[in-house]
Amino acid sequence: MPSNIALNPPTPTKSMFKRAPMASAKSYLSALSQADARARAHGATPTSTPALSLSSSVTSSSEDTVLNDAELDNYDGLALPSVPPTSEQVFPTIHSEFGHCSNENYRYRSAHPAGKPLHNLEETDPPYYILITTYLSYIFLICLGHLRDFVGKRLTPAFYRHLLPYDGYAPLNSDFDSFYTRRLKTRMDDCFSTPTTGVPGRTIMLLDRSTTDYNITHTLTGTRTRGLNISSYNYLGFAQARGGCADAVEEGIRRYGVSTCGARLEGGTSELHIMAEALVARFVGQEDALISSMGFATNSTVIPALVSKGCLVISDELNHASIRYGVRLSGASVRMFKHNDMEALESLLKEVISQGQPKTHRPWKKILIIVEGLYSMEGTLVNLPVIMELKKKYKFYLFIDEAHSIGALGPHGRGVADYFSVNPRHIDILMGTFTKSFGAAGGYVAGNKILIDRLRLRAHGGVYAEAMTPPVLIQVVASMASIMGVSSPVPQLKHSQNSSVSSASTIGLIESAEHHPGPALPSQLPPWMDLPPMMRDGSEGQTRLRRLAFNSRYLTRGLTKLGFILYGHSDSPIVPLLVFHPGKMAVFHRMMRARATPIVVVVVAYPATPLVTSRVRFCLSAAHTKEDIDTILKACDEVGDALDLKHMPGERWPLQRIMDSAVELVNMRDDE
Amino acid sequence: MDSSSSALEPLFAFLSYSVSQIETTFYKIPGSHVVARYVKSSHQDDPGRTVLEILLVIFAIRTLLQSRTRADSGGKHFIQFSEKEVDELVEEWTPEPLGQPLSAEEEADLASVPVISGANGPKPKLLNTGKQVLNLASYNFTGLAGNKDIEQRAIETLRKYGLGSCGPPGFYGTIDVHMDLERSIADFLGAESAILYSQAFSTISSVLPAFAKRHDVIVADRGVNFSIQKGLQISRSTIRWYDHNDLKSLEEVLESIEKDRRKRKAPLTRRFIVTEGIFEKDGAMVDLPKLIELKYKYKYRLVLDESISFGTVGRTGRGLTELYNVPASQVDMLIGSVANGLNSSGGFCAGSRIVIDHQRINGTSFVFSASVPALLAVSASEGINILRNTPSILSTLQENIYAMRAILDRVDCISIPSHPASPIIHIYVRYASPNTLQLPTSSGKPSNPSSVQPRDPPVFDIEAEEHLLQDVVDEALAQGVWVTRARRLRGQELLEARPSLRLAVSAALTKKECEKAANVVKAAAVKVLSRRK
Repeated sequence: MPSNIALNPPTPTKSMFKRAPMASAKSYLSALSQADARARAHGATPTSTPALSLSSSVTSSSEDTVLNDAELDNYDGLALPSVPPTSEQVFPTIHSEFGHCSNENYRYRSAHPAGKPLHNLEETDPPYYILITTYLSYIFLICLGHLRDFVGKRLTPAFYRHLLPYDGYAPLNSDFDSFYTRRLKTRMDDCFSTPTTGVPGRTIMLLDRSTTDYNITHTLTGTRTRGLNISSYNYLGFAQARGGCADAVEEGIRRYGVSTCGARLEGGTSELHIMAEALVARFVGQEDALISSMGFATNSTVIPALVSKGCLVISDELNHASIRYGVRLSGASVRMFKHNDMEALESLLKEVISQGQPKTHRPWKKILIIVEGLYSMEGTLVNLPVIMELKKKYKFYLFIDEAHSIGALGPHGRGVADYFSVNPRHIDILMGTFTKSFGAAGGYVAGNKILIDRLRLRAHGGVYAEAMTPPVLIQVVASMASIMGVSSPVPQLKHSQNSSVSSASTIGLIESAEHHPGPALPSQLPPWMDLPPMMRDGSEGQTRLRRLAFNSRYLTRGLTKLGFILYGHSDSPIVPLLVFHPGKMAVFHRMMRARATPIVVVVVAYPATPLVTSRVRFCLSAAHTKEDIDTILKACDEVGDALDLKHMPGERWPLQRIMDSAVELVNMRDDE
Repeated sequence: MDSSSSALEPLFAFLSYSVSQIETTFYKIPGSHVVARYVKSSHQDDPGRTVLEILLVIFAIRTLLQSRTRADSGGKHFIQFSEKEVDELVEEWTPEPLGQPLSAEEEADLASVPVISGANGPKPKLLNTGKQVLNLASYNFTGLAGNKDIEQRAIETLRKYGLGSCGPPGFYGTIDVHMDLERSIADFLGAESAILYSQAFSTISSVLPAFAKRHDVIVADRGVNFSIQKGLQISRSTIRWYDHNDLKSLEEVLESIEKDRRKRKAPLTRRFIVTEGIFEKDGAMVDLPKLIELKYKYKYRLVLDESISFGTVGRTGRGLTELYNVPASQVDMLIGSVANGLNSSGGFCAGSRIVIDHQRINGTSFVFSASVPALLAVSASEGINILRNTPSILSTLQENIYAMRAILDRVDCISIPSHPASPIIHIYVRYASPNTLQLPTSSGKPSNPSSVQPRDPPVFDIEAEEHLLQDVVDEALAQGVWVTRARRLRGQELLEARPSLRLAVSAALTKKECEKAANVVKAAAVKVLSRRK
C-alpha cells in the first residue's frame, strides 16, 4: 500500500480526473447552460454581487473570461468554480487568478472593536512528548550530520574542498558555519525556492523538479503542477494578469516605457513618482510620502537617515531583517524588548530614559521605537493602542513597519492605524511595501512634510539607488486608487442645486475629502488612466478587503476548531500553524502538494523561527473563495491526523460542522 | 502526628516507587551503566568535583534561560533611581526633532531636480518647462530606454505573469524568467552562475557581508561607492585602504598585510580585494589585468563592482572583462547593475556556482526581499539579447564619448578625472591660481592603510564648488541640455568626494547631438566659471 506520506508529487493520473468536480471544458459549458436555463425558468434574478459581477459590460470583459483549453484543464479542480455562474453573473476576473465568489455572506469587516484592549495572545504549548521528540530529532540530525561530515571528509574530500583551506585561500564558507544549511536544510530543499511560472494569484503554477543527489542539485522535469496558492503575499488579490490594473500598466508601459534611468535626485524623477507619492500619503493619512524601489531597501536606507550615534532604537525582538540591517548601518544604540510585551517595553523605556546613554549618562538625542504592524512569521498585530498611550507619556518617536499590514488590515485597508482607529498623523513614520497587498514591488515611508523632505535628501536611495520603474508605479497607483475609490470632481455637483447650498456642500465635500480615510482625488491619478467603474467607485476594493477579512477569520477559526495550534490574531491574513518537528514540516509540505487538488504552502523553521516552533505559514488572499478555504481545512484535517498535529486543548468541531457554520465562526467574537 | 505521618505514607511509597522506576528505566538505556559508573567513581575520587560540576550545570542553565532583552540593571554604570525620580526624569526629557527642517539651501537643492513628463529617454520633456531637452543626466548608456521590442516583451510578460512577484525567492518568488535572466547574464559574461537582486544599490552591500565576517581582511579602494562602504560597514571585517585607483599602493598594502600576518603567525582568514570597474565617484577605470595578477600573487579574492562598466564598455558591453580580454571566471564576485546597464531594475552578482549558491541563503537582501517583477526581468533579458546582436550600440556609445571628450578636454576652466572610455564624464572645477592646485604635494610616503583618509587629501571647497556647478547645470538646462551635479550624501560618505558635474553619455544620441551638448556644457562652464573671482 502506498504510504500517504508521499515523497514525490504524483503526476496527474486518470483517477484524478474522476475525482475532479468537472472534467473538461465541455462539461463545464453544459453545466453553465443548465444553470442558465434554470435561472430563466424561475425568472428570478440570480444572487449576484454588484461589485465583482458586472452584467452591463459583458462585452468589455469577454476577453478576460475567454475560454481556452489551457485554462479549462480542470483535473485539479482549481480552474473552474464548483458552482458554475449563470449568464447574469459575469465575473471580470479569471477564476484561477481571482476566485469567483458572489455570496455576500462570505464577507467581514476588519476592525478592532473600539475601546477594547487587544486580545492578549497566549501561546499554547504542545504536550511534552512533542517538545522532547522535537529536541531529539534535532539532536539526531546534528549527530548524524557531524558523523557524515567526519566520514565524508575522509572518503570524499572533493565534496568538502570548498569548505576547507585550499591553496592558501581560506574557505569562503567554513564547514561549521554552513553545517545547518548543508546537513539540515538540504534534506528538505525540495520545499524551498520552488520555481514558478505565471501569475502568483489564487493558484500558482509550479515547475516540477527532480533530484538525483539528495537535493544538492535540482533539474526541472518540464512538467508543471498547479496548486492552490496560500503562500504568496497577495492579500488583496492584485496579482492579476487581467483586469483594470493590468490594463492600466499596459497603457503605462506604452506611455512611459519600462525604466526611469537613474536615481531620484539625479535624473530619474518622473511625474508618476510625484503622483504616486501624493496618493500614498493620502492613502495612509500622512502629509507626504517617499517611494523607494525595493521594500528591503526602504528600511535599510531610511533608518540611517533618521537616527545616528547618540540616539536609541528600541526594537521588537522579532523585527524583520531589513530593520536590523538599517539600524546597524545607522550607528544608533539598540535595545530590544520581548515580542509585543507592552509591560517590558514600558519598563525598558523607564530605564533608558532615566539612565541616558551608557557610561556618559547624557540624555538620548532621540528614542525611536520600531515595531511592525503585522509580524510576518507570527501573525500577531502590534498592540497599537497601548503604544500610543506610552508615546504620550514617554515622548519617543514611533516607526511602524506596515509591510504586511498595509492594505490587509482595517475596514478601509489603511493598515493598523485604520484597524485600531488611531489617527495616523500621531504616528511619526509609517513604512510599508507594495509587494504584498498591491501586487507591485518596492516600498514607501510616510510622515510629515518636513521629515519626508529631509529623507528625500538624506536617505541613501534618493541619491544612489535606481528610482521605481513606471510599470510598478502605475500598478501601485491603480490598485491603491481602486481600494480608496476616486472622488468625483466637485464642480459637476454644483449645477443641480441652488448656489448657496452648493457652495456649502462643496466646502463640506472638500473637508470630507481631507478627512482620513477618504477617497483618492482625481488629480492624484494620471489623466489618461481609465479605471473600470467598479474600481473607480471603490466597490471592488471594498469587496476585496471584506473577502480577505472573511477568509482570514474563517481559516483561523476553522483550524482552531479542528484542534491545531496556531499563532497570531484571528484578523491576521497570516496564519502560522505549528508543526514543531523539523521532519513533519517537510512531510506536511509534500503531502499538501501531492493531493488531488495540490495546495502550495510555505514551511518555516530555524533560524527564521525559534528552534522548536517550526511552522507552516498560510497567507490568505481576497482571491480565495470560501470553497478554497474548505479545501484547505479538509487537507489540513487529514494531514493533521496523519502527522499528529492536533494538540490544541478546547472544544473541537468535526470538519463538516465547521464548513457549514463558516459565517457563524467568522462572526464569533475573540473572547468567545 | 501519627495521622499526618500515616497520611504521608502513600506519598513516600509512591516516591520510592518512582525513584526505583526511574532507576530501572535509566539502566535500560544502552550505555547508561558506563555513565553511572563514571559519575560514581568521580564522586568517590573527588567529592568537591561533583559540587563544582553541579554548579557548572546550574550556571549553564541560568545562562541559557537569561533573556537577551533583559534590563542591564546589574551593569557597572547603572544608577538606581526611585520610582519618583524616574518619573521626573521621564517628564524632563525632551528629544530632538526627528527630522530637521530643510535649510533654504537644501530647499533649493531639492527643488532643482527636474521632473520628467512622460517617458524618459534621450530627449525627454521636462514637467516645469514643458520643453524637450537633450538628456545627459539619466543613465541610458545603451539607449535601451523606449525600445519598442522591450516594451512589447514587457507587455506580453505582464499579460502572462501579472506585475509583482508577491514573494521572496525562497517562497515561490523564483519565477522561471528570473532563472532565465540569471542564466543569460552568466552566459553573457562567461561566468558559471549568477544571482539576481531586486535593487542595484542593495546588491553589493549584501554580497560583501554574505562572505566577509569579523576578522576577515578586506582591502578596498579609498574611492569606492556608497553601497560598498555600507557593505564593508555591515561585514565588520578588518578593512585596509589603498589609494584611489593606485595599484602600486594596493600592492604595498597587500605586502604589508602579508608581512604582518607572517610576523604574528595569524591564522588564515578570508581575504578580499574590493574595487570598482569604472568608479561611480569620478569615472576612473581600474587596470583589471594588473589587479588580477595581484589577486593571484597574494591569494586574495576579487570583488569587482561593475555597476557602471557593465553594459557600457567592451565590444558588446560585457564590461571590463571583455575590454581587457580577461575571463570573467577570474573575478570571484562580479557585481553589475541591471538598472544601469540594461535599463530595467535590479542588480546581479556573477561568479562560481559555490559563490552564487551561498548567496541564495546568506545574501540578506536576496533572502529577505521580494524578487524583481517578472516584466522587468524579461526586459533585462531582452536587453542582453539586443546587446549581443547589435555591437553597433557599443561602438556608437564609444564614438559619442570620444566626440564629447574631444570638446570638453580642451576647456581650460574644468578638469576631467574620468577615463577616456568611461560613459560617465565627471567634470571638476579647475582653479586658476596655482596655490590651490589640487595636485597632491607628493611627500613620497604612503598613506596609512588603516585609515580611509589618504596622507595628502585633496583640498577643495565643497559649498563654493557645488554652487558654481549648479549654476553651470542651470545654464545648460536653459540651453536645452540636461546635465546634473553628481549628488552626494555629504557627511555620510567615508571620504568626501569632490563636487563634480556628471554627464552620462548615451548611444541613443547622434554624434551631432553629443557635440552640440558638449558645446553647450562648455559654453555654460566658461560663462559661469569665468565670472567668479
